[in-house]
Amino acid sequence: MLYKRIYQFLIIYFIGLAALMLVKYSLNLSDYTIPGVTEIWTTCRRYFGLYLMAVLNTLCVAILGHLLSIGMATVVGIIGRLTIWVGSFIRVAAYNIQAYPIVAVAPIIFILLGDGLSSRLLIAAMICYFPLLLSFIGILSEPVKEIEHFFESTRRMNWRLQVKIRAFENIHKLITVVVGSATLAMVGTIVAEFIAANAGIGYSIRIALYQSDLAKILVALFLIGICTSIYLVFLEWIGWFVKKQLGSI
Amino acid sequence: MRLELKELNYKYPGSVGDVFRQLNCQVTEPGFHALFGPSGVGKTTLAKMIVGDIRGFAGEINLQRIHQVLYTYNLERIPGWCCIREHLESSTPQSNRQRLEDLVDSFGLQPCLNSRFSQLSLGQQNRTNLARYLLQDFDLLIMDESLANVDEITKEKIILKIKSLFPQRCFLYISHNVVEVSKFCKQILVLRSHYRAPQAVSLQGQNFNGQRVLKEKDLEQSMLEIVNAL
Amino acid sequence: MILMLASAGCARDDEKSMEEVSYRLKWLFNISVVGDLYAHDSGLFAKNGLKVIVKPGGPEKDAIKELELGHAQFGVASADQVIRAVSKGAPIVVIAQLFQINPLHWIYRPDKTPLKTPQDLKGKTIGITHGGNDETIMRALLAKYDIRESEVNFFSVRYDYTPFYQGKVDLWPLYRNAQAPIIGAKLQKAGERFDLMDPSKMGIRFVANSVVTTREMLEERPETVKNFTRALLQGWQEVLKPANEQKAIDTVLKYNKETPEEIVRQQLPATRILMMPTPDFEFGKMDPAAWRQTEEIMLSQKLIPVPVFVEKLLKPVREK
Repeated sequence: MLYKRIYQFLIIYFIGLAALMLVKYSLNLSDYTIPGVTEIWTTCRRYFGLYLMAVLNTLCVAILGHLLSIGMATVVGIIGRLTIWVGSFIRVAAYNIQAYPIVAVAPIIFILLGDGLSSRLLIAAMICYFPLLLSFIGILSEPVKEIEHFFESTRRMNWRLQVKIRAFENIHKLITVVVGSATLAMVGTIVAEFIAANAGIGYSIRIALYQSDLAKILVALFLIGICTSIYLVFLEWIGWFVKKQLGSI
Repeated sequence: MRLELKELNYKYPGSVGDVFRQLNCQVTEPGFHALFGPSGVGKTTLAKMIVGDIRGFAGEINLQRIHQVLYTYNLERIPGWCCIREHLESSTPQSNRQRLEDLVDSFGLQPCLNSRFSQLSLGQQNRTNLARYLLQDFDLLIMDESLANVDEITKEKIILKIKSLFPQRCFLYISHNVVEVSKFCKQILVLRSHYRAPQAVSLQGQNFNGQRVLKEKDLEQSMLEIVNAL
Repeated sequence: MILMLASAGCARDDEKSMEEVSYRLKWLFNISVVGDLYAHDSGLFAKNGLKVIVKPGGPEKDAIKELELGHAQFGVASADQVIRAVSKGAPIVVIAQLFQINPLHWIYRPDKTPLKTPQDLKGKTIGITHGGNDETIMRALLAKYDIRESEVNFFSVRYDYTPFYQGKVDLWPLYRNAQAPIIGAKLQKAGERFDLMDPSKMGIRFVANSVVTTREMLEERPETVKNFTRALLQGWQEVLKPANEQKAIDTVLKYNKETPEEIVRQQLPATRILMMPTPDFEFGKMDPAAWRQTEEIMLSQKLIPVPVFVEKLLKPVREK
């Protein structure tokens, strides 16, 4: 599973790199516009360690933000499955707030919270929170009549059992949306760092952009791709383990 | 024990035609009764009205000495995280525990106990579902196609078991099978389309309980009456 | 009617005979590009047979890359961009130098942070943009006065000035002509005095925005380069005259509606001083010594691996 995912990423990455080289040599562009393979390799050797630490830093924040957003989405999703106005209010609010682009909101967060861990964490959580929330609300508010009917008829139903039934019945969807939002968490963290942080790979990319150093950016993208692939495989493995434990596979 | 439906009128929300028009019928004693009719005539709707899941109808539904009504249908499922044994044990009230083994045995569920619901055949699933309802406290149990996908021999065994275990309870068995309702049911409520008057006709079934010989002629007579009522 | 049609036809013919070129600026439309916009709006480019599409720059835009890709024929880039690009083989030449004094300064509160000598920088929190040319300039400044980087605190600068307003940062980088009037006004409103630290007065001359084109353009279309440069420099010269102050302000406001007029009015003289230090200064003149120093600074900080001999890139266009 892991080797396949990495293998696929490497194919895509090197196809992209080859396309860049094709453009470079067919248009006779200098190393300033598109760096040559030698420069990319030299940059990689020089900055690999530094960028690896930066990517791991970003990944940690992304994972924490992801977990935070899963927790928040679970809590709000459980409340939001109510049919009274609280539930529909939460749903409408989620749809509307999701429309705000994070690049507009991120600067405000950095002004209020500074550029430490808390702002990066909050932005990472926010960017994957809303898709998670809407999926969770959708899943947790949709009754599974064929199972819930018995418990309701015999007056055994309570909110815990209801959530458990609906979550279990939609475990595949939940795992898919959690795994899918992991990429968003990584993207969100990188964007937040790019805009206004002073750590992480997004910050490194911003510096590289100031210097118009495409070689550094390519090295950064490579490391982001590898680390994100590993994270996604890890999440898929957790999903498989959870499903196995619950007996749904 | 009495179930009385008085001048029921009902229309599905948003639809033009009536489902029930001046429907009158009653069940006046415990036993294994049937609610019979062609597809789409409103049997499930009527069952849900009796249970209280559907409101907004005109007329009365009177329940005398019937305090707990349960409704079960053939598409129900058990939660997938537990095996059949765990679910039956956890969902059976303490007062009914002694019946558990007996029902499991009679319904042929012994081989299924350690399996999860999704691993069972359709017939096993229906039997499991019915068993758990029978282990609850109820006065009236409405069984909507609860024995679909069950073979005839097992079906007979189950119905006879129900009748022997619960002689003082009331059952309303919804089925399309004219033979089985004629054979096993005491009273058969034949439900007809709303433009027919009366919309419900009450007939006597053979109420076979395994302790007497059932004459084929009597059975045929009951079946004919049902068919003619339609 | 016939005359109108004929003149319309002539206008179309004139347009057809004009050479179309693109000119990518370094930043958004603001006071620092007033001459570029004036040359366009006043018809100077057209008079010189050019239809120039002036495009705003930005953080994601790079004029040098656009020149190489053929998306633009002229551009504005800072000296460090030019030197970095040439060190990587970009075929770029410089045809005019816009800023004679680098507009990059550091704003500070003299009451709180007295700076009488460069040594007073020790122990201060200094804002820099990591990867930006303000970082390069500050490091050069510290090196010049033997101040170790461990003796100052670098603070990574973002787009907002809150850390400076809150007093967390002692010196904050900004563009003297564009941002100092805005931030200075805020500080004055709060009853605070401010001053600006000019690195060039401390011996660090780091060239800023300059007009660039490709070597190929210079060699194969010298007349176009000449016409463009003539019109551009004339536009800048005219718009920076005090007598044309209102025209300059109107030009900026036409393209930049977000900056209030009173701020633009303050930005203009600040820009004039940086581009034309004396009234009779020849606008666009190159300063080879400043360019050499810029290259030396970049070499010493290992921003370029080997010298590029920057004087070879300076190709001022002279009328014969």
